[in-house]
Amino acid sequence: MQKVNSIFTSEQPIPISLVLMAVLVVHLPLLLMQLPLKSFDTNFHIFFASHYVHHWFNPWNTKWYAGFSQATYPPLPQQWIALASRILGLDMAYMAVQLAAMLLLVLGVYRFSLLWVSPRAASIAALASVFLGSESFLVYSAGQLGTTFAAPIYLNALPFLFEWVRHGKWRPFLKGSVLFTAAAAAHHATLLFGSFFFALPVLALALLDRNDGEQTSISAFLRRAITITVVVGAGIAIVLLPFWIALFQYPVTQTPIPHASRANYILSPQWGLNYFIIPYGALILAFPFIFLRGCTVVRLRPLLLGFWVAFLVGLGGTTPVGHILLGRAFEVLTMERFSYWATLLALPFIGLLAAELVERYRMWAVVGLTITAALSCALAVGWATFRPADGEDFKVDTVAAWLNRDSHDQYRYVTLGFGNKIARLAMMTDANSVDGEWNSGRMLPELTRYGAGALTSSKYFGKPGLDALRAMLTHADHYGLKWVFVRDHFYDPLLSFAGWRPVDTLEDNTITVWSKDGVPPATPLNAPQIPPRWQGLMWGILPFGSSVLAIFVVLIPNEKRYERRAQKVHAANNSRELERLVW
Amino acid sequence: MVSQGRIFALLLAAVTIVLVVVGTVWPSPSAVAYVGGESLRSSTSTPEAVVENLGNDIRDQAWEKAYSSFANKAEFTEPEFVHDLKGYSPGLLTYATLNSFEVLPIHASAKEADVLLKLHWSTIVGASVTTRRVHVVRNGDRWEPEWQIVKDPSVPPQIIPVNYLRWDVIYRGSEDDWGAQDVESPHVRIVDVHPVERAEGMMVLGELINEDVVPAYVSVTATLLSKHQSVIATEGSFDKISHLLLPKQVTPFLIRFPDVQLSDVESIRMTPLSALIAASADPVIEIENEQLHPSPDSSLTGQLANQSGQIVNVAHVLATFYDSAGQVVWVADKYLDHALLPQAPVPFEIHIPEDLSKKISSQRTVVATYSFGGYQ
Repeated sequence: MQKVNSIFTSEQPIPISLVLMAVLVVHLPLLLMQLPLKSFDTNFHIFFASHYVHHWFNPWNTKWYAGFSQATYPPLPQQWIALASRILGLDMAYMAVQLAAMLLLVLGVYRFSLLWVSPRAASIAALASVFLGSESFLVYSAGQLGTTFAAPIYLNALPFLFEWVRHGKWRPFLKGSVLFTAAAAAHHATLLFGSFFFALPVLALALLDRNDGEQTSISAFLRRAITITVVVGAGIAIVLLPFWIALFQYPVTQTPIPHASRANYILSPQWGLNYFIIPYGALILAFPFIFLRGCTVVRLRPLLLGFWVAFLVGLGGTTPVGHILLGRAFEVLTMERFSYWATLLALPFIGLLAAELVERYRMWAVVGLTITAALSCALAVGWATFRPADGEDFKVDTVAAWLNRDSHDQYRYVTLGFGNKIARLAMMTDANSVDGEWNSGRMLPELTRYGAGALTSSKYFGKPGLDALRAMLTHADHYGLKWVFVRDHFYDPLLSFAGWRPVDTLEDNTITVWSKDGVPPATPLNAPQIPPRWQGLMWGILPFGSSVLAIFVVLIPNEKRYERRAQKVHAANNSRELERLVW
Repeated sequence: MVSQGRIFALLLAAVTIVLVVVGTVWPSPSAVAYVGGESLRSSTSTPEAVVENLGNDIRDQAWEKAYSSFANKAEFTEPEFVHDLKGYSPGLLTYATLNSFEVLPIHASAKEADVLLKLHWSTIVGASVTTRRVHVVRNGDRWEPEWQIVKDPSVPPQIIPVNYLRWDVIYRGSEDDWGAQDVESPHVRIVDVHPVERAEGMMVLGELINEDVVPAYVSVTATLLSKHQSVIATEGSFDKISHLLLPKQVTPFLIRFPDVQLSDVESIRMTPLSALIAASADPVIEIENEQLHPSPDSSLTGQLANQSGQIVNVAHVLATFYDSAGQVVWVADKYLDHALLPQAPVPFEIHIPEDLSKKISSQRTVVATYSFGGYQ
């Protein structure tokens, strides 16, 4: 016990191995319980992965939207799930990949924080990332694997960016470039917005530190910054080429779908709780320190500004900032990822604050910080149960079995009232649906025109949702849509008046199968969006290959300059004098 | 440096607060959507404002808040208010959401005012509009709305003898899908077809008759062909038809082609579909007091009376309008937003386009019905 006490109350960094163990202690049991399966998007990622299991080199998936291209979403975490599923099965493979992302986050936060604060504060920041409310919220409630997988890779790449622009050595250039590319292969939005929120502050820091130790001229700085930008840009362009082709040929022009993260959190306090209180948790208490310290210490200002802008955008419709900065993208993106990035940017400050509190109040501070961190994490984890993505849990096995028998799968189907179970059902059946959960990938005009999400949840989108459903049912013959599985009798009158008849009931009469007579069997859509074979090969090789390359490249030994510099810079900037001024 | 930093911190905090205030006082459209059009600016200073507040509460389904705003809430309970608004028995409005509303002042004095509240509901079968006249009274320095409860007609307890025809179908086995039948389909025939061009696109309308002695499930598909006999578009009748036809019954149908011009169409291929179906003549819906009203505001009005002892949750009225030569000139429909209780007539009104009203000399009306749980 004394030894543990000394780790936390001494001035030495907490060993990263201990922080990694904390990840295992806190999150491994939750992942083994498969808690993320209750989240909004987890089944969506597993569904994508299940396609890669069978069609690694063909991103055209016919199971949703009568066919859509998975090249519209960066594939890296899903391909890792597909690979790991050969041993673990899809569900546990998802948990394994998510755990790997959480372990990587600890390393990423530590390495990123070292740029700004002392090794001890950085190690505390890494420990704080284990309990971060926004991380637990995204993992257990939102199920945003892409974001939580890409951010750690990105954070790990940033110190290499700094080293490169400061010292111009080839090793950090190579490592940084490969890691940035791998991060983009995991999630494009993280790279795009991360460049502004994370990379620009790091570049600004390199500029501020240019005269510290080895001198860096402005021209060298600019040359190096432009070089890595061009090389990484080219790398991402090549690795995600099918994605860019799909994006430019078929831009997302569909009517925006409402999302509560764009609400005003004061006028709609229930969403403020969901998208502000839960992700930030006890970190809210540190806001005054973040602002004061970030403004007082010059070299922390770029980090503060990155945090501040991400924080404002993450507030959704509470401020006009998101609308102004993002334009139309504000109506397409969801805002909780910005809050996630803001909390990651806040972690070096948290590490700094915690280190100073512990130094001043010793065990009292350790106890207080442990309690607030645990409460933040517990609240975010528990939120998945308090506000589950699906109000009711139910099995879709019988629906899948029904579709898979007696040639029912020669027709397409749609579900009503199934929530995010449609991804699970799609994995279990051979039949194809006209519905789906990947809104940016859909092309059917009946779905893109009205500004609603999945048909299965039509009624929750009000008039746009019901209009989209009516449009789809009107064109049932065209799509070979013969079966409608209804778990919400709200929809019954429409089906009845539109000429559909109930033909069977499943799951103790809780699910009714409706059918329409005279519908021809479904035929494959000859969509122009089908990626050609060469794109499929690229999609199967390059994104995954970038991550394998990143693993090998990162194994090249580092120079010790990095940590030495961090300690030196910290000593210079966070002196006792400054601390006294702040206190 | 430290004092500069503190000024910078204060500046950032101030800008943050200003941005939050701006975003809250003038919320963006996407933020407004989540508070039902309400912002911090709502007030009770005018009759229109309080009725607007009431509309917002109805849209948010904030029944308690809406009820507590009424000046005459002692006259009824909150559940009575909700039932009055959305139906005492399950009907279309019961599960509908309010899409939008309009507030139209009628008259106002210093102490009271009358305001029309036009509610645009989004129901499962389409839009539905109900209008309520809200009396608003002044109470001190604020205005308060009064809600006039309209109670459902109560029918005395009685026994209603039923004597109706019913047809059952014996299927081959449990694995036999409905519709996949080896028997001959009921004989149906399209008795009239007319393409028309309207502002909203081309339409094909007509009538279909079940000539058989058994009930039929029917639907109609129209395929438009160009001069080169290539297919322009194919659409079905969807809900603009009565899909269940008893022997010798006739249904109108209307098929929409919103993106097609009549001048591009050389011919139309009509494909009626029929299949055997179990059916009964119950519930019997009587159409009473039908009247054609000439322009302006030309319409068909009448009442539906449920002659059976069961509640009909949703009724769909389909009307065919003929010219003096007996040709079909228009097909229109209307869903009733309230349930049909036994023996309690419910009025309906079907709007007729002004330009067609002069051509119309007669009409035929059919009613399709739906009852929750009726199929099990």
